[in-house]
Amino acid sequence: MGAFLLLGGAVVAGVFTVAVLRRERPSEIALLLGLTRWAVFAVSVGLLVTIGLGLWLVEHVGYDWGDAWIVASLALWVLAGFLGDRGGRQQRETRALAERLAADGDQPSAELSERLCDPVALAMNWSSGLVAVAILGLMIWKPGA
Amino acid sequence: MVALVRPDSWNLPLFLHVLGAVVLVGATAAVALAATRSRESLLLRRLAFWTLATVALPAWVLMRVTGQWTESREDIPGDPGWLGVGYIVGDAGLIVLLAATFAGWWSTRKPDRRWPAQTVTVLAAVYLVALLVAVFAMSGKPE
Repeated sequence: MGAFLLLGGAVVAGVFTVAVLRRERPSEIALLLGLTRWAVFAVSVGLLVTIGLGLWLVEHVGYDWGDAWIVASLALWVLAGFLGDRGGRQQRETRALAERLAADGDQPSAELSERLCDPVALAMNWSSGLVAVAILGLMIWKPGA
Repeated sequence: MVALVRPDSWNLPLFLHVLGAVVLVGATAAVALAATRSRESLLLRRLAFWTLATVALPAWVLMRVTGQWTESREDIPGDPGWLGVGYIVGDAGLIVLLAATFAGWWSTRKPDRRWPAQTVTVLAAVYLVALLVAVFAMSGKPE
């Protein structure tokens, strides 16, 4: 269930992120980025549940803590959290700018468009999701177990 | 316990099945969120419709086809309840998704009418709950 919250939340965020790239009006951008807050909540809870229950499961089932797939999964979990946090921060700032612009005439803004299409922020957000998919793969294949 | 000792040949179909299910859950949640807020927003109605048509339905196909593929590999004995829940939610889900997609399309065509968007909201929310029940049943495999 934790994995579904994490990855399902990432899909929700992905849907709204793709949709927002096509918009120019600040009010529409603010509306779509506002909806991603639910996705961020789901991803955050998913991250906590997966690490909490994942660590318990390693102990409960009796896996070796030194197994390559467990070490790699933990490293990727940290990476996914880091990338998602950095990308999410950028998105929060963009949403705040969109809300200000929406209240101030709701005219398209070059600065807002630039922020939305910032390749570094987009790369971090998408990479975070791909890393989460890689963790899912490790959980199923368990290489080295 | 089966998940802990399964042969390698089961992994690819299982991975794709879970991936399809995850994307389906996420897409359905996105549709429910967008449709809930779409009363005055044609943008959100269009987003709900296009998410159903381009993300949720393909994810359902991936989930359903690879689910069947996984079952053919595992040859699960008997008729366990968790598998039945998966089949019911999976197969009935296609009807729900198609109905929601049609209502979503109608809501973009007739923006002055509320009921199509409300229908999408209800169908997506009900299906999301059903999917989460199926996820719980299929991952926990209670007797």
